[in-house]
Amino acid sequence: MTALATLPHSLIARVARSLSAKLTLFYAVLIAGVVLLVLVGAKTGISGYTERMIRGEMASGAVVFDRVTTMRYAQLGDASQVLAADFGFRSAAATGDAPTVASALDSLRGRLHLDQAFYVSTDGAVVGFRGTLRAGEAEALRRVLDEGSTRGILQLGEQRFNAAAAPINAPVTIGWVVFANALDAGELARLARMSAIDLSPQIVAAAGLTADERSGRIVERFVDGQHLLIQASPIDSFRRDQPQMLLLRYSVTRAMGHYAPLLWLLLACGLLGIAVAVAGSWILARRIVRPIAALDAAARRVAQGEYAQVRVDTRDELGTLAESFNRMVNDVGERERQITHMALHDGLTGLANRTLLREYLSQTAARSAAGRQRALFCLDLDNFKVVNDTLGHPVGDALLCRVAARLLAFAGEGFVARLGGDEFALVIDDAGRSLDRAATELLRIIGEPCVIDGHRIVPGTSIGIAIIDGPDCDPVTLTKNADLALYRAKHDGRGGYRFFEPAMDAEARKRRQMELDLHDAIAGGQLSLMFQPLFNLSEARVSAFEALLRWNHPTRGLVSPADFIPLAEDTGLILPIGEWVIREACRAARHWPDHVRIAVNVSPVQFRSPGLSAVILQALAESGLAPHRLELEITESLFIDNPAATLSSLHGLRDLGVRVALDDFGTGYSSLSYLRAFPFDKIKIDRSFIMDLLSSDGATAIIRSITTLAEALGMETTAEGVENAGQLDILREQGCSHIQGFYFSKPISEAHVAAMLHDDAPPAMRLAS
Amino acid sequence: MKYLHLLALAGISLGTPAAAGTVAVHVVDAQGRAVPDAVVTILPAAGLPTGPIRFPWGVKMLQKDIAFNPHVLIVPVGATVAFPNADKVRHHVYSFSKPAKFELKLFGRDETRSYTFRTAGAVALGCNIHDAMSGFIKVVDTPFANKTGASGDARIAGVTAGRATLTVWHPRMRAKDNEAQFALNVPSAGETAQQIRLALR
Repeated sequence: MTALATLPHSLIARVARSLSAKLTLFYAVLIAGVVLLVLVGAKTGISGYTERMIRGEMASGAVVFDRVTTMRYAQLGDASQVLAADFGFRSAAATGDAPTVASALDSLRGRLHLDQAFYVSTDGAVVGFRGTLRAGEAEALRRVLDEGSTRGILQLGEQRFNAAAAPINAPVTIGWVVFANALDAGELARLARMSAIDLSPQIVAAAGLTADERSGRIVERFVDGQHLLIQASPIDSFRRDQPQMLLLRYSVTRAMGHYAPLLWLLLACGLLGIAVAVAGSWILARRIVRPIAALDAAARRVAQGEYAQVRVDTRDELGTLAESFNRMVNDVGERERQITHMALHDGLTGLANRTLLREYLSQTAARSAAGRQRALFCLDLDNFKVVNDTLGHPVGDALLCRVAARLLAFAGEGFVARLGGDEFALVIDDAGRSLDRAATELLRIIGEPCVIDGHRIVPGTSIGIAIIDGPDCDPVTLTKNADLALYRAKHDGRGGYRFFEPAMDAEARKRRQMELDLHDAIAGGQLSLMFQPLFNLSEARVSAFEALLRWNHPTRGLVSPADFIPLAEDTGLILPIGEWVIREACRAARHWPDHVRIAVNVSPVQFRSPGLSAVILQALAESGLAPHRLELEITESLFIDNPAATLSSLHGLRDLGVRVALDDFGTGYSSLSYLRAFPFDKIKIDRSFIMDLLSSDGATAIIRSITTLAEALGMETTAEGVENAGQLDILREQGCSHIQGFYFSKPISEAHVAAMLHDDAPPAMRLAS
Repeated sequence: MKYLHLLALAGISLGTPAAAGTVAVHVVDAQGRAVPDAVVTILPAAGLPTGPIRFPWGVKMLQKDIAFNPHVLIVPVGATVAFPNADKVRHHVYSFSKPAKFELKLFGRDETRSYTFRTAGAVALGCNIHDAMSGFIKVVDTPFANKTGASGDARIAGVTAGRATLTVWHPRMRAKDNEAQFALNVPSAGETAQQIRLALR
């Protein structure tokens, strides 16, 4: 039951999915429709023809019957008239000589082969009738004869006759002779044979027919499953009170029966036609569908990323489609290769990019090392930004290409990638030379001077190296490690190389954590300022405090500025921190006596930021501190990168009215030209000179020369890191105007500053002695 | 005067032909058309007057133009009717009628045959040579007889007054013996008009 129920569904689903089945079904239905039409048409045509034929035969049948009977009546009438005109017969009839009349009729009947020949007198007596008349028939005969009836179908009893009559005039009508022939089955059969088809003629009383039939039209009747056509034609009736009709009938069903073999043959041919159409359309559909299926399969394979081609073996539309498909697959493949190349390569140098490097690294790491030395070199051009900024980007790009070419030449079979900007990577897979030698060689090759666009450029690079030592090295870690090593190499001084060490990783992580913590530090109030006094030796009083930043980390406790300031500079956090320091320092200093200044260190990053002036103005405005009481301490390193810009900024600050001190004087790139270029308010002599004072005479000489120079230029001098009386004595002796250091006071909190200012006895006492 | 009047009354009651009236008959067919050649005879209940019967139209049946002329001839019983032939052809007059069966075989132009009719009744005349020829002789036994003219009218004067039987005969009348009878009162003086409608073949 369920199997039967599901069968049509599965069939429908199959047909819906298959083009072949659809086409086949379509043509099958189409041809079936045509066959049906032909059959219906044939049937309709045949039955229409048959009916017309029958109607025609009926019309002519009635005419034939009419003619034949007319002929019969003429014969009978002629014979009766001959008798009626006979003088002897008239005499016998007129004189009522019945036996003579009867005998005369009898002999005539025999001679003319008549069925009936009788005489009816005007008074209703009938002579010579064979058989017996029913009651009233004699009178009825007399009446119709009297009314002038001379011919027609005469029904007497159950029998019907063709009858003709002639009056006996002697000279008035005294009676009639009636000659009649029985209209029996045989006679009707003879009539029937005159038509092409057997219309089974019947004579019936009109009274027995329906009004519809009596109308003379051909009527249809369905009797016992037979379709009959019936036509009743009026015929002459001897007795007008008993009208008679000729009834013709023919069975259309029977006539159609003759055509049944033809229709069956048509049906058989139709079914055969359907079978041929189904087979033909199936074969055709298969031939159409097979290439489509092949295209479909190929399209699926292409969708899965395979390369697929369809065999073209026809020249029709499907062949063209297959050709187009193949062309499309090729074009798509070509474009895919281009896109892949673009995705994996650097547009400028044509080197692999970071993505391809990562892929290459994972493949390389997975391969067995087999005693070979493999490493990832990360390179970063030194001072590339300067080239870009001063010589323009086209030169920068050309330099990158030149470097790329050198890297490729160096790498040989190795892998070279550009990671972006001026960063390159190199995968060395070399059994021959050691990595140290390779790095040294690479530094040399990159560092060879070159001329680009007329500019002589000496490229420099730093290299970070991460060793690929097993399948566990994942590309991301490798790249990160090499980057860390590079960072360290740069940090340690440009133009060198460093191997990655696990400690770098830990440090980097620590730095990262600290960076995060530093973010929170400003908002969390973990930063605070300590103040170290600067003592004016000539005035013997505190002249200023240097604000020193402290970070009280919630878990690590106090963090040294040496640890977090570089980090803040690297990350840019130095800007908000520096701003906070300036404002906080100004705020603290506002209640101090007017001769006490506040000194704040300004980082190079902060110095170069365009917002510094605004920050200072705002801090001064908020605190109400006089500008000259704010002293900004800057380092010499500012002059190295861009002396002109630095000078301009310094003059800008000076215009604000604030004081500017040169910090850590004597270290690094100290140049006397700075002192000539800008009139610093103060020079702070680096603590390294102070520490050497007691052990080295040279140090004393340097101090003296500095103080002498400063005095000549009208600048104050401050010695930092003064820790004992010996140092103080020398400094005082050498003309240093201010001192700062533990000997006088270590950095103190804001509260202690107030105390010191109110009651400066202890340190002052010591200094005074 | 008063006496005379009484006599007149007695005359009626006794059937004495003390008075006579005129009977005018108009014969029409079923369609109301005038019927000529209808023979009207009256038989008074009081009886017929004695004496020989004579009609003014004579007793001659002429054959002229292949026809009997007149078509209908009224003759009294016992009359001998002459049959003169005025045609160039010969005729063979016959009658199969009961009152008079006779044959006047082949007689030519200007020949006259005669036949005496001794029985009252209608006699149909034919010619054995010319089937179309038809004539009738009505043999009557009453003096009160006449036939309708072309207008269908027949007048009989001097008919004995009183109850009488009027008989109308016509060769084509659809009735037994081709005649119909009616009762009527003949006025003692003046005229009675009768309209009679016949069914003809």
